[in-house]
Amino acid sequence: MTTIQPAAPLPGMSFWQGTRRSFTTMVRKNGFGLIALVILALVILGPLYSVVLWAFAERWRYPSLIPNEFGLKFWEQTFSRADILEALPFSIVLALTVTALSAVICLPASYAFARMRFRGRQALLLSFLATNAFPRFGLYVSIAVIFFRLNLVGTVPGVIMIQLVNTLLLMIWIPTAAFQGVDRSLEEAALDVGASPLRVFIQITLPMVMPALAAALLLTFVNTFYEAQGALIVGLPRVVTMPVLMYSLINSQLVVQYGAIVSVVLWLPSLLLLLMAQRLLRGGYLTAGFGV
Amino acid sequence: MAKLDIVQLTKRFGSVTAVSEASFTVQDSEFMCILGPSGCGKSTLLRMIAGFESATGGDMQIDGESITELPANKRPTAMVFQKYTLWPHMTVYDNIAFGLGLRHLPRATIEKKVHDSLDLVSLSGYEKRFPAQLSGGQQQRVALARAIVLEPKILLLDEPFSSLDAILRVRLREELKRIQRRLKITAIFVTHDQEEALSLADRIAVMNSGRIEQLDHPSTIYANPETLFVADFIGAMNLLKANAQGSSLRVGSKTLPLPDGSIVNGETTIALRPEDLVLVSDTYTGAGEIWKANVDQIMDLGHYRKVLVDVPDVGELKIFIAKSAHINEGDTISLVPARYLVYGQHGSPIEVNRLARPDSQAVQ
Ligand SMILES: Nc1ncnc2c1ncn2[C@@H]1O[C@H](COP(=O)(O)OP(=O)(O)OP(=O)(O)O)[C@@H](O)[C@H]1O
Ligand SMILES: [Mg+2]
Repeated sequence: MTTIQPAAPLPGMSFWQGTRRSFTTMVRKNGFGLIALVILALVILGPLYSVVLWAFAERWRYPSLIPNEFGLKFWEQTFSRADILEALPFSIVLALTVTALSAVICLPASYAFARMRFRGRQALLLSFLATNAFPRFGLYVSIAVIFFRLNLVGTVPGVIMIQLVNTLLLMIWIPTAAFQGVDRSLEEAALDVGASPLRVFIQITLPMVMPALAAALLLTFVNTFYEAQGALIVGLPRVVTMPVLMYSLINSQLVVQYGAIVSVVLWLPSLLLLLMAQRLLRGGYLTAGFGV
Repeated sequence: MAKLDIVQLTKRFGSVTAVSEASFTVQDSEFMCILGPSGCGKSTLLRMIAGFESATGGDMQIDGESITELPANKRPTAMVFQKYTLWPHMTVYDNIAFGLGLRHLPRATIEKKVHDSLDLVSLSGYEKRFPAQLSGGQQQRVALARAIVLEPKILLLDEPFSSLDAILRVRLREELKRIQRRLKITAIFVTHDQEEALSLADRIAVMNSGRIEQLDHPSTIYANPETLFVADFIGAMNLLKANAQGSSLRVGSKTLPLPDGSIVNGETTIALRPEDLVLVSDTYTGAGEIWKANVDQIMDLGHYRKVLVDVPDVGELKIFIAKSAHINEGDTISLVPARYLVYGQHGSPIEVNRLARPDSQAVQ
């Protein structure tokens, strides 16, 4: 057996020297990592920075690095446009509706996938991947052809249906994995003390899959809110969602600020939801309960 | 506090018969162990009693009333599982109070019961902890508290301590026994650890491939194993192939007597406990057959020694010898088979006692 002596501090070496040395070793060791981080930040944040600046710019001429004049003039103009005033609340309600419908359809299905053994289970589960494995545009076009015959093109139900297709993968796969992660014997223990199967589901199973379900709902909402291809193909000309509207604003290149302001506004819901998710995940019982 | 009757209980999974026509009765306040090797159907049997597994055939009755058709949540049984099954999102208090809450008891009653049960498992003051903040042993104690707080008629335990370390396992085992005695609760304890079963049980049911081979008091099971499987499974045992002819048994070139009138013939197996091979002096002339043996290996096991010896023509045998006996590896010693059981092809084994009081004649 050997004993390990704690390293004694070198005589005459001050605290500061120690820290400086550890900082330089960190840079030397992690130099590549730091550079990569800076580049990553520039690549990601650069465009964001420019968009935010554009949203609050009244005049921005080349070669100035920041706008020549700041102001909210274009915000007023943007939000007095009838198309935007109509599209924004509509988009939010639409995304909420699609998310809710998707939950109603997918959550029971994912519970079944997790808990029941039936023929074709594996194949069915994989089939949801198919909608994401091929170029989506082709799928949408062929769906649009069918919808056209059914008079669904240009209608809200049509848009809801095509956006639902988009949500299936996430809303099936994440909850299925979550339900599978709940140990059967935890449910049996609850049955054992007298809880009915429904109560076991509500008070034992559901709380344990909640973080994963919340994540799935959140991602579905955000994805749907930003979904443009399906809405574009099936919705136009009568149903216009926010992202679709943004396409046309950017394409017609009227004023750069319109596009910038709309994208800043479009970030808001996802930012809000991310904050909520963080609070949910930090909430006492979950972290304590899972020993995070 | 109740009596449990199991009648011809059978469970098949497809072509696998996990439990085959098990029949037994657990008496009021009795502590019964189900002991058997891995995969013999112990858990399946227990899970049928708890209601997690439906029976393929047979019946189960508590105090004379059939529970076979009752769903798990309506049965007056409570189970402690092998895995940690406390609900991770609930505190210790909520875990224990959950079942009480379902019974619509007044708050004050629930509080008192939870505290009493935690006190019983020596975990007072842990109410606000989450399961992840407890050690494995503490979690299993809470699981035990959660089960007994409901005052079940039958307490079921499926290897509840098997994932704990040896010292803790022994301590919790003693604690469980004390609680069971105090509450006079009827308990069934499943284990594959014979030491656990022998130290806990009022009676042991030894299972093998879905069948209950013997159900008896621990000392009876040890002294008179009904089947060859039980003889081999419980405790240390020497098994020797032998040939029975009339009133004698041939083991290699040696012979051992059979009692008068015993009707075994042909292939038999002799079961000899290590402590029933008695060490005698080289000048011994008393009763019994003397076998010369070479000492191959001596293992010191604390208060006694386990010795592997080779008896020419018979084979390798293990024996237990007191520490005071002076023997060394390589010595030749004299042994007398004092007591053995003979298993024929059918029926109960035949017990043979060669030395009435072996210790008085043995020289050590
Ligand atoms: N759900 C099931 N489906 C199919 N076969 C099963 C199922 N559960 C158990 N079995 C089979 O039944 C037999 C008995 O299993 P059981 O779990 O009761 O054994 P056990 O005695 O508890 O073993 P262990 O000591 O390893 O826990 C085994 O052969 C097992 O493979
Ligand atoms: Mg088992």
